[in-house]
Amino acid sequence: MSRFSKWTLGSILALLVIAFAGLSFMAGSPKDVYWMVRYAFPHMHRGKLRLGDDAPDVKLLALDGSNHFHLRERTGAKPLVVVFGSYT
Amino acid sequence: MVKIYNDYKDRADFLTVYVREAHPTDEWQMKSNVKEDVCYAQPKTLEQRVAIAKDFVERQKYPLPFGIDDMNNAADLAYSAWPERLYVIDEHGQIAYAGGMGPFNYDPQEVRAWLTKRFGPVTQSSSTASPTGAAPAPKAADGGTR
Repeated sequence: MSRFSKWTLGSILALLVIAFAGLSFMAGSPKDVYWMVRYAFPHMHRGKLRLGDDAPDVKLLALDGSNHFHLRERTGAKPLVVVFGSYT
Repeated sequence: MVKIYNDYKDRADFLTVYVREAHPTDEWQMKSNVKEDVCYAQPKTLEQRVAIAKDFVERQKYPLPFGIDDMNNAADLAYSAWPERLYVIDEHGQIAYAGGMGPFNYDPQEVRAWLTKRFGPVTQSSSTASPTGAAPAPKAADGGTR
């Protein structure tokens, strides 16, 4: 292996170690990195909505579990603050 | 968000949209959820999703209006909402504020800043003020914080 190849390989390995350490810090522990890559990254998206874009309408289920309504029905009268999230 | 809701509910509408779980027991569970006994598997049916949403509202005494995303995650996909995200939609149905991706860029104080810019800061005497004192709608580009 040439000296250039060794340096390249070494640099890549060093970057991978730094990236893993950074992700471990961000996720909480090295084990969490796996869970983050496995379960979080596939569902996290920066998104394409920008200021001034028409807000997409979506059909939602009411908390009673039987009635549906459209997000658009809640807009128009006042600004609508929309909070997306889950329990866990 | 509850404090912001209580401060501005007379002047803005609020809607919480429950999307797929972020840290269910069968995926990336967090120790903090175990400690707080918030342990749920990822719902496989809409009924399971509704049950968790109801648990959340009841246990947290959560006052904001509530809607639940369908099992195709249509709302999540349309708004790139998972795991958590904030938006403000103006009276014209346009995005006036688009928050960053949660959890790292989920910042309710940016929503408060938007509402404060639009309606003014909340004081003890104005927190129950009539919405008729609201300022006119700003242009979307002027209304956001991003």
